Amino acid sequence: MTRQDIENEVRDIFLREFEVENPELDVNLREAYGFDSIDAIDLLLEIEKFLGSELTRDEKKQAMDIRTMRQIIDYIEMLAEKRHAAQG
Amino acid sequence: MAFIRFFQHIGNFCLMLILWGYFLFGFLFILLFLFIPCYLLTKNSAGAIQKLFHLHMKFFFNLTGRLIPRTTYKIDPEVCALRSSVIVCNHLSYLDPILLVSLFPRQTTIIKKTFFQVPVFGWFMKKAGYVSSSPSEMTGAAMINHLESIKTHLAAGGNLFLFPEGTRSRDGRIGPFNKGVFSIARYCNTGLNLVYIQGTDKLFPPGSFLFRTREKNTITMELIATLTPDYSAKNFSINVIADQTRRIFEQKIAAVKAADPDRKI
Repeated sequence: MTRQDIENEVRDIFLREFEVENPELDVNLREAYGFDSIDAIDLLLEIEKFLGSELTRDEKKQAMDIRTMRQIIDYIEMLAEKRHAAQG
Repeated sequence: MAFIRFFQHIGNFCLMLILWGYFLFGFLFILLFLFIPCYLLTKNSAGAIQKLFHLHMKFFFNLTGRLIPRTTYKIDPEVCALRSSVIVCNHLSYLDPILLVSLFPRQTTIIKKTFFQVPVFGWFMKKAGYVSSSPSEMTGAAMINHLESIKTHLAAGGNLFLFPEGTRSRDGRIGPFNKGVFSIARYCNTGLNLVYIQGTDKLFPPGSFLFRTREKNTITMELIATLTPDYSAKNFSINVIADQTRRIFEQKIAAVKAADPDRKI
């Protein structure tokens, strides 16, 4: 899974779930698109679906500080690497 | 006529005093005395308080039924049998959540911050594991903690009842939905049971502290649909589920209206 794959998936989620088309990478999602904590929960569940594994409580809590698209992509990349490393 | 109306108002006022007196005394004394043993003797004190709430509200409606015989209750047995469920309801009156508590021994909900600020009552609600909808409780790590405890509550057989409109309808129509309700159900990987409430606003209307005792009224609670969304489906969307739920409630209201055109919805 490349960083570009992750970005494409996140953009797809934003369009499908939040009706936000092509969000900019570095804008504050809350300020620009009214992205709230319930949206963050939906996003987490979509990320679980994308990764094919459940997130731990700590991983979920970590995500609650995310503010931008770039941070979301970094977060998913980190999770994917973590799972890849765990698989050996 | 004015003379009779005056005595009706006096009667309503006395009933209000008895019912809300019982309601408050229950919290202040009965629960307070039972709370300490519950807290000391049970492992799950939140669950024990929920059961106390349930018994207290059950007696409250028993008393209401005796004092206001013109109001009858028709509760769908399927509603009473619900367990481990996310229950989505329309909202007409402050009686709605109380009635739901009287039906389920293990129950939780998400409520406005203002209710938590009420002395004693707010404290009990917090101890019962009810969740405040205030931004401080429904953001960040606190929200994850609350959602995880709701998940555990549902897994243990408890119910979560929610009002997606967030506030009481003044005309019986369905107001705008907060889609957070559906996100919570999804987080808990639970289906949705849609319960339609009727008549509570006739007994205890919004904007009044008096019970309407003279009017013939039937309070009904009916399970109108059970939705089991496939949350893992690629094309799953919260918006679709929220729209579907809304449509089901609107169809129900239209059917009720068609069956009795004179009824004020």
